[in-house]
Amino acid sequence: MNIESLDLSILGPAFITGCIVLLTHVPLGREVLKRNIIFIDLALAQIAALGIVVAHVLQLEAHGWLTQVIAITSALSGAVILNWTEKHWPNVQEALIGVSFILAATGGLLLLAHNPHGGERMRELLAGQILWTSWNQILITAITSALLLAAWYGLRHGTGHLRFYLVFAIAVTMSVQLVGVYLVFASLIIPALATRKYSETKSTLIGYTIGAMGYIMGLVASAVFDLPTGPMITWLLAMTALIFYFTPSRRINTH
Amino acid sequence: MNIFNKLIFIIFGVCLCATTQAKINVFTCEPEWADLVRMLGGDHVKVYSATTAYQDPHRIEARPSLIAKVRRADLVVCTGAELEIGWLPMLQRQAGNSRIQRGQPGYFEAASFVERMEIPEKIDRSQGDIHAFGNPHVHLDPRRIIKIAEQLSFRLQQLGAEHSDYFKQQYTVFKTKWLDNIKQWEQSAMPLKGKKIVTHHRDFIYLFDWLGIQSAGELEPKPGLPPSPGHLSRLKQSIKQDPAIAIIYTPYQDTRPAEWLSRETGIPHIQIPYTVGGSDNANDLKGMFTETIYALLKAMQ
Repeated sequence: MNIESLDLSILGPAFITGCIVLLTHVPLGREVLKRNIIFIDLALAQIAALGIVVAHVLQLEAHGWLTQVIAITSALSGAVILNWTEKHWPNVQEALIGVSFILAATGGLLLLAHNPHGGERMRELLAGQILWTSWNQILITAITSALLLAAWYGLRHGTGHLRFYLVFAIAVTMSVQLVGVYLVFASLIIPALATRKYSETKSTLIGYTIGAMGYIMGLVASAVFDLPTGPMITWLLAMTALIFYFTPSRRINTH
Repeated sequence: MNIFNKLIFIIFGVCLCATTQAKINVFTCEPEWADLVRMLGGDHVKVYSATTAYQDPHRIEARPSLIAKVRRADLVVCTGAELEIGWLPMLQRQAGNSRIQRGQPGYFEAASFVERMEIPEKIDRSQGDIHAFGNPHVHLDPRRIIKIAEQLSFRLQQLGAEHSDYFKQQYTVFKTKWLDNIKQWEQSAMPLKGKKIVTHHRDFIYLFDWLGIQSAGELEPKPGLPPSPGHLSRLKQSIKQDPAIAIIYTPYQDTRPAEWLSRETGIPHIQIPYTVGGSDNANDLKGMFTETIYALLKAMQ
């Protein structure tokens, strides 16, 4: 037991980061489930990661914003291509997403073959380092997320597919660098999965609650049991969703 | 959580003041420094090591307890020379403890107090994981350990001024014993002089420098990069012509490249403790050196 780690100033920034990620990912996750393109976030996150790797190989990290521009451009190009394939080959969209994922992942490995810190960077992007987020990053992410949410809900009746892919690409590029691919996937899919039978507003609100509970309990468990934070949150998100899904009161409410 | 924190503080506050307050709270990045701090600080330090011998000190998983431990630390002892560059700066920033920031008395960088090998003339990323401050794995030379111990003792005397006589005494006792140990180790390691050894990473060069062992190359093509087929086959050719006595690796490194090369060449592959806790007998710095020399001598037979 590590009671001393239960410190709000240690876990607080991580929790706020989690909430900001949930803010965009819960509604987007619902859309992902509806379109049945579950692995799109893995693909786009990996393409964004490939962009970060390219920036690294070109030695552009000194200019932080340039890395971000390249990452977002990569994810956006990926999104545009996947949007195009959804229109033209809708039957094989999920397969194409899978192939993009492995191409982006192995492309990163090839580019980093001669780079000693490559492995670490790739692993960081997968498991994430949510504890290391600074208030600066939190502020930037909060502002971008607010803009994305406005775009998502504001332009509802405008362009359909493309709007989803563009908002999604930017949201994932941002969150993947904060919390890693695993937690992005969990935040996106798990709340949406647990609340899929509800109306949109209700589903989103319950999804936020489940997500926030999962993050809180995951952070506390990680502190108390002294285990890596990202993986712990992922597991507690899944458990919260499971408990919610099988709680009897839910059935009463739906009728 | 605030109320919870306060409650905990009230419950444990009293005992904390009574028992641990007098001790210097030390956070070390690697287990070798934890052992050195324990030897020099004795009863007046409380030590926690962020990594064990089975973890690669170049990288670490973020856990809340690490931030909590650094926050409460009076002294952070790390290797430095960019070994922990991937995680220590973030840990220091996140902990918000002004006493242990770079440049403060509470921050001790072991490698900065000794002469380092392999300081590059120019930094070129194509050369792999090159540290601008030279090779950081300095703890494998017991002569350098003495220099570091002296500085570390000064630091303890500075931070725990009320026990400075005790710390001085501890250092004197340590130094006498350690010089004896070095003599014994040098004596028993005589047969290793001039012999060649293959390593996984360039992490044993200070040991080799001390004992006069020659490096026969590394399994990694460049520091930090995983072994590649082309490099391994070149290495195989070169050690076939000019045999090495052993292929060595640390507890946290992948054993497969060493096993492969061992199968191909018939040269034994052995795991070396590398740091404190790296094997059953290496439960302190002294045990680590004794075990390392014993293992290398055994490989020669």
